[in-house]
Amino acid sequence: MTKTTGNGILRTPVGRRGVVFGAASLAASTKLGMPYIGNAAAAEPIKIGMIWAKTGSIVDQAEYLAQGSMLALEQRNNTLLGRPAEIVWLDEPNPQGAQLNAERLVGEHKVVGIVGGALSSFALAISAVAKKSKVPFIAANAAAAALTGSSCNKYTFRLQPPVDVHTRVLAPYCAAIGKKWYIMTAAYAFGQDIKKSFTDYITANGGTVVGADEVPVGTPDFSSFILKIRAAKPDVVIGGVAASDLTTFLKQWNELGMRGKIPFAEIAVGNTDLWGVGPEAADGLFTLTWYYKNPNNPPEEQAMAAAYEKKYNRPAADKAWMGWMGMRALLDSIELAKSTESGAIVNALETWSVTRGDLASAYRPFDHQMTSRLLVASIKPKITDKWDYFDIKAELPATQADVEKAFGSQADSACKMDAL
Amino acid sequence: MILSQAVNGLVLGFLYVLIAIGLSIIFGMLGIVNFAHGAFFAIGAYLALVLSRDYGWGAAFLAPILVGAIGVVVEMLLIRHLYGKEPLLGLILTFALALLVEAILRLIFGGAPVPFNPPKILAGFVEYGPILITKYRLTVLAITVIALVAFWAFLEYTRFGRIIRAGSRDAEMVGLLGINLPIVLSGVFGVGCLLAGLAGMLAGPLWTVNPSMAGGAIMPAFVIVTIGGLGSYGGAIITGLLVGVVTAMTIQFYPDWSSAAMYILMAVILLMRPRGLFGEKWERFE
Repeated sequence: MTKTTGNGILRTPVGRRGVVFGAASLAASTKLGMPYIGNAAAAEPIKIGMIWAKTGSIVDQAEYLAQGSMLALEQRNNTLLGRPAEIVWLDEPNPQGAQLNAERLVGEHKVVGIVGGALSSFALAISAVAKKSKVPFIAANAAAAALTGSSCNKYTFRLQPPVDVHTRVLAPYCAAIGKKWYIMTAAYAFGQDIKKSFTDYITANGGTVVGADEVPVGTPDFSSFILKIRAAKPDVVIGGVAASDLTTFLKQWNELGMRGKIPFAEIAVGNTDLWGVGPEAADGLFTLTWYYKNPNNPPEEQAMAAAYEKKYNRPAADKAWMGWMGMRALLDSIELAKSTESGAIVNALETWSVTRGDLASAYRPFDHQMTSRLLVASIKPKITDKWDYFDIKAELPATQADVEKAFGSQADSACKMDAL
Repeated sequence: MILSQAVNGLVLGFLYVLIAIGLSIIFGMLGIVNFAHGAFFAIGAYLALVLSRDYGWGAAFLAPILVGAIGVVVEMLLIRHLYGKEPLLGLILTFALALLVEAILRLIFGGAPVPFNPPKILAGFVEYGPILITKYRLTVLAITVIALVAFWAFLEYTRFGRIIRAGSRDAEMVGLLGINLPIVLSGVFGVGCLLAGLAGMLAGPLWTVNPSMAGGAIMPAFVIVTIGGLGSYGGAIITGLLVGVVTAMTIQFYPDWSSAAMYILMAVILLMRPRGLFGEKWERFE
């Protein structure tokens, strides 16, 4: 029913159902994608798909992942195989959205490969499309074991070392602090892998898990979790929450007076997660995949960092490198294959390799996992540069043989690789 | 431990109340389901961050006032054209506004979170037996209570407050009495946004300040308004506190369910009381 007010304002009633409908619509609509940046009108360009979040809790990392990915193509003057090339960027608001957008990239935009998957759950969803559609997919940020383990497939390649490799690097440092651990992880694949791998490690090494919580993604207030941790009196807290959830947790960890009282450790954190915490609240012991101030970065990566800083007027975060490296591997492989045919690109990716210091990093043919070193880093006691938060304690595993051992052999792998 | 969690939940609840009250009065008076309410919350956090960084923490209190002023402008330029139109138009426009604000914040501040922590003077915590509460959260509690009491007094004892209450029940009659309703409606939208901005200012040092921070605020606000009963000031307060405590208790006993707890609570209450806990029959909404 519509009413007219004394001032001629028409009022249309909105009832309780309207509000409930509104709330439900909001929940659904915040998952909608945003327009892509590609230019569909360009003459026969080679299209590369990119799926990085434009909304949601991982969006802060995704901004750097996307910028790094785009930089890789720009450094080739936006050409591939002598033809113009362009990136089509779609959102990954949730696993279902990531899957739908991957299907759009393949069906609608005819991309020759995809780079993306900021969260493990998104990457697993995109990987299923890659397998079904036979399109190469580089998961540059996801760390859940299943991606190159039980859910591996011929078209999916992963850059980020899986959770168990990170755990093998960081857990000994945590065990050296104490044997009573509290584990607080995100309630999805990445967090659950962390919970399992750290629990397995500490129980095998004579320690105990004094408490474990799974935290919903997007939790705005961690104070109740922190009160539980405080009451359990662990020696170390093992974190497994990602992106802005980690930022929120560390801010509240400091606010509740826990910083410096109980050591906090987490694998595979992003630089931006800590930059958002601020120098006065940042705390912890971490594994990083890359750091812009690491003097051991090879010349090409130093050049990338310089180009990024020149373009964006801020240092390249680790995620910018991951986006760049993931896209670089795909573009290199297209050039190597001299073709945009998916089977040829997959074969090229399996032989693609890059030398980083004394280590050859490559995607292993039997599970498509890239092998690389990790950095063990702690927060500087006094932060004077608003970007430079980390002291690098070690770069591990030390030798090529140790790297191969840390990543496990084909016999250890849960991957049953299929054929093209 | 349970007592400690309950107190902690109350503090969280008060913050939710502050967000929900603004949403409730905008809906009650204007009939607009304001999807952009969380965006005003985010603007409040960012303005407080910039003002406190450049001019000290005292200046941060200007943030909610500026958010209120932005709200008035938005009402005059956009919202006003929705009165009497299909409710869906309001949903679409305010949702678009929320996306626009998020994009503008991303353009200005970047997508990454920005450091924003409580002032040093409020560092530390106090302990009363098993209860631990930080000085900053105590301050949030105090400011929220003051704001809610002041707003209640404003509604109860001022002429403008009486017009708002009357207008929320029968806007037509208020207009027939010769009251300039468009100005009142601009003021109401501004006050609602001011409260969202105040909540943003207070939550900024606790939550992650990034362009998509609105999401963490808007859903609890909708749930609280629905459970409390549309337009019920007391209902929103009691429900906000209830949601805070239920969330904290779920974390204590069933942490995996903590994000679902308030929705389960809403479903149960609406099944028993379809108008919400304190909902009354409003002719204009029937």
